[in-house]
Amino acid sequence: MTLPAHRPGAALSFSAIVKHFDGAQALAGASLTVPRGTVHGLVGQNGAGKSTLIKLLAGLHQADDGQIEIDGVEHRTLTPHLVETLGIHFIHQDRLLVPTFTVGEALFLGREPRIAGTPFLDRRLMQRRAADILDDYFGIRIPNSALIRDLSTAERQIVQITRALLDQPKVLVFDEPTAALVRREADILFRLIRRLRDEGVTILYVSHYLNEIEALCDAVTVLRNGRDVATLPLAQTSASEIAGLMIARDIGEMFPKRDVVPGHDILKVHGLQLSGKYHDVSFSLRRGEVLGLTGLLGSGAKDVLRTLFGLDQADGGTIEIDGQPARRLDPVRAAQRELALVPEDRRRNGVALDMTVGENLTLSSLKQFTRFGFLETARERGEADRLIARLEIKTAGRDALVRTLSGGNQQKVAIAKWLSRHSQIYLLDEPTVGVDIGSKVEIYRLIGDLAERGAGVIVLSSDLTELVGITDRILVLFRGRVIRAFASAETTPEAVLAASTGSSEVLRHVG
Amino acid sequence: MAVPASGTARPSSTILQAAYGGILRYPLLVALAAVIVLFSLASPVFLTAANLQSILVNNVTLLVIVTIAMTFAVAVGGIDLSVGTAIDFASFAFVSLVLAGQPVGVAALAGLASGALVGAFNAVLISLIGISPFLATLGTLFIGRSLQQILTNGGNPVYLPPAGVPEAFRFLGRGTLAGIPVPLVIAGALILVATLVFARTRFGRVAIAIGIQPDVVRYSGVASRAHVAVTFILVGLIAAVAGLILTATVTVYIPSSGNAFLLNAIGATFIGTTLSPLGRPNIPGTVLGVLLLGIVANGLLLTGLNFYWQQVGTGTLIFAVLALSFARRRHAKA
Repeated sequence: MTLPAHRPGAALSFSAIVKHFDGAQALAGASLTVPRGTVHGLVGQNGAGKSTLIKLLAGLHQADDGQIEIDGVEHRTLTPHLVETLGIHFIHQDRLLVPTFTVGEALFLGREPRIAGTPFLDRRLMQRRAADILDDYFGIRIPNSALIRDLSTAERQIVQITRALLDQPKVLVFDEPTAALVRREADILFRLIRRLRDEGVTILYVSHYLNEIEALCDAVTVLRNGRDVATLPLAQTSASEIAGLMIARDIGEMFPKRDVVPGHDILKVHGLQLSGKYHDVSFSLRRGEVLGLTGLLGSGAKDVLRTLFGLDQADGGTIEIDGQPARRLDPVRAAQRELALVPEDRRRNGVALDMTVGENLTLSSLKQFTRFGFLETARERGEADRLIARLEIKTAGRDALVRTLSGGNQQKVAIAKWLSRHSQIYLLDEPTVGVDIGSKVEIYRLIGDLAERGAGVIVLSSDLTELVGITDRILVLFRGRVIRAFASAETTPEAVLAASTGSSEVLRHVG
Repeated sequence: MAVPASGTARPSSTILQAAYGGILRYPLLVALAAVIVLFSLASPVFLTAANLQSILVNNVTLLVIVTIAMTFAVAVGGIDLSVGTAIDFASFAFVSLVLAGQPVGVAALAGLASGALVGAFNAVLISLIGISPFLATLGTLFIGRSLQQILTNGGNPVYLPPAGVPEAFRFLGRGTLAGIPVPLVIAGALILVATLVFARTRFGRVAIAIGIQPDVVRYSGVASRAHVAVTFILVGLIAAVAGLILTATVTVYIPSSGNAFLLNAIGATFIGTTLSPLGRPNIPGTVLGVLLLGIVANGLLLTGLNFYWQQVGTGTLIFAVLALSFARRRHAKA
């Protein structure tokens, strides 16, 4: 492969960038240099500072300190418009295109070519230039008159890229471009990126997927905790090496499973049924035990969890909590019976985003901090501080809004609010969705803690590696029935997956 | 902290920038100071003790009580369009029983109970049946208006003959305690209690949480529907207090007169909520909102403007608040 002639030097250079948001440090002296005409990867966990760096480059935020050079020229204040005139374009899956525009309008928005000497749009020229690029680079045809909202995600992305290419860009920044693409579409994208690189365009490629970085990039920079920890040429670097740098933690410690000797049954479910959702669900949960629950969408696993917390009422069957029957549960009674739910939709049901960390932490245990109806604010604050410290919740303090926390730390708040209520049965619905690797491990450790202290924990998860790693037993639901139970120590994610998708022996079982 | 370049800011204008930041930090106090300065320049009478007392007595006392009631409804994410109905029912029961020769204390309790009953009716519609607060209280407003017509044979006022006004009744409306009008003392006490409820009680905290994100409250095992129900009963009860004072002051019950407070109460609550640091309903903000509305109404009158211009003042004030809160958000973002 011969690289085309391009001027040596850096297309982009960030040095020692510092940026705070509401007192929380997003970037703590990060540097990044992207040589011209290369594909440069940028990786890091959620919260490492990738998106902040990209937003600084896009002119959406201003750095507190540090230098940004573009094409060797330092720029103190960047605005979105300036950045575009410098030939830098951003491709992002969420980046909005006006849904009711036609492809043609979206492509030429703000720079419509006119028929020379007239105020009229040159529709024919627009048509031709768009068609040329689409055909040349993607080998596809999207009619100019199609509406954006009728396009697939991949097609919208192609429109975005085409819009950038019409400007003959110098730098293209791809921010998690493949997150919503299927394999075949991603391959088309990779071919395009290599071709653009060969034509002299500089590419900055931000991704979670290390295999993509490995396949595509010339070099990669790893961010961790707001700093660049390494920049490596990919010719000599493996994906696992990059992963190690991102986490800075032994992968073996990923699932810190405790050995807890389970106690007596704390929760017994017998013949539970909710018509149209699940039938004849029976299981028991012991103190100190972590029980996994999984199943495809519509398997009924989620509905079982909702029923246990009293959000839905079962049509039949019994629930026993600590030996006592629990009838007509609603969330208030469930919480009184020491059940705790950490819902999947964290931002909607788990935490109140516009309340403070402290207010969220004591929301469900507020009665304990109340005397004659009045809050004992000193004790309440003490409890909040204690929980923040114990769970290592990263926040500017108990008075910061939960909105300002990262996903992982929001999730810790959602779990922690039950700790101060001394709940004994934890129902965790997809507890690590949208949580960075570091926080995931902390949540796993917390689950271990809970079990060790004698609580019973049910984890509903579709991340089977996680489920096998942190649970004692796993129940698989399929079409509303429990079709398999696994001892986690004796199974593999693949076996659990096979059961939950209803393959082989499973089908025989269900009929 | 650096004030962001807003496009027009020059290096020499740092004092202006600081002032701008100050305005955005304490918008209500600054707005209050601004209208006070404005009207004391416009009218020599404005800053006299007599006028200030007249503002408090005529423009603020009753409205602040009704607005506190409204603030509770808004805190749980709702609104109460039937506060006027609670005022009227309390007023009607109070006057009728006094007229019938019952002790003033008994009549007052009956009045409070009537207001609470209106609130309880709303509570059933909202918490039990699940109707949105706006529609539920709108229905109550209409029904209440009709009931009053029926009860008063087509809307006849119920007068207390001047001779038949008991001392306690007169005291409630016109009396003074240590030189302070009794209605003002009651309003002050309510302000204190309500402030405490929001700042220091579980009830207040949960109410605010319900207003911000009701699902989280439910998923936290807190009885949010019961909280909303109690809140709406409380709204009726507080509005009833205003009803009693109103009646005791004018010694007459006029059907559906309580609705006159509705829009101002909504406006003042909105002003106080919008300009509070966290954008939450809160009593200090509510009180400042009422003061602002009261001062603007009084001031416009003093400057000799036609009475009909008063609501232009109120409307302008609300737009100004919107503009200020918009500026504040931009300021905070930069």
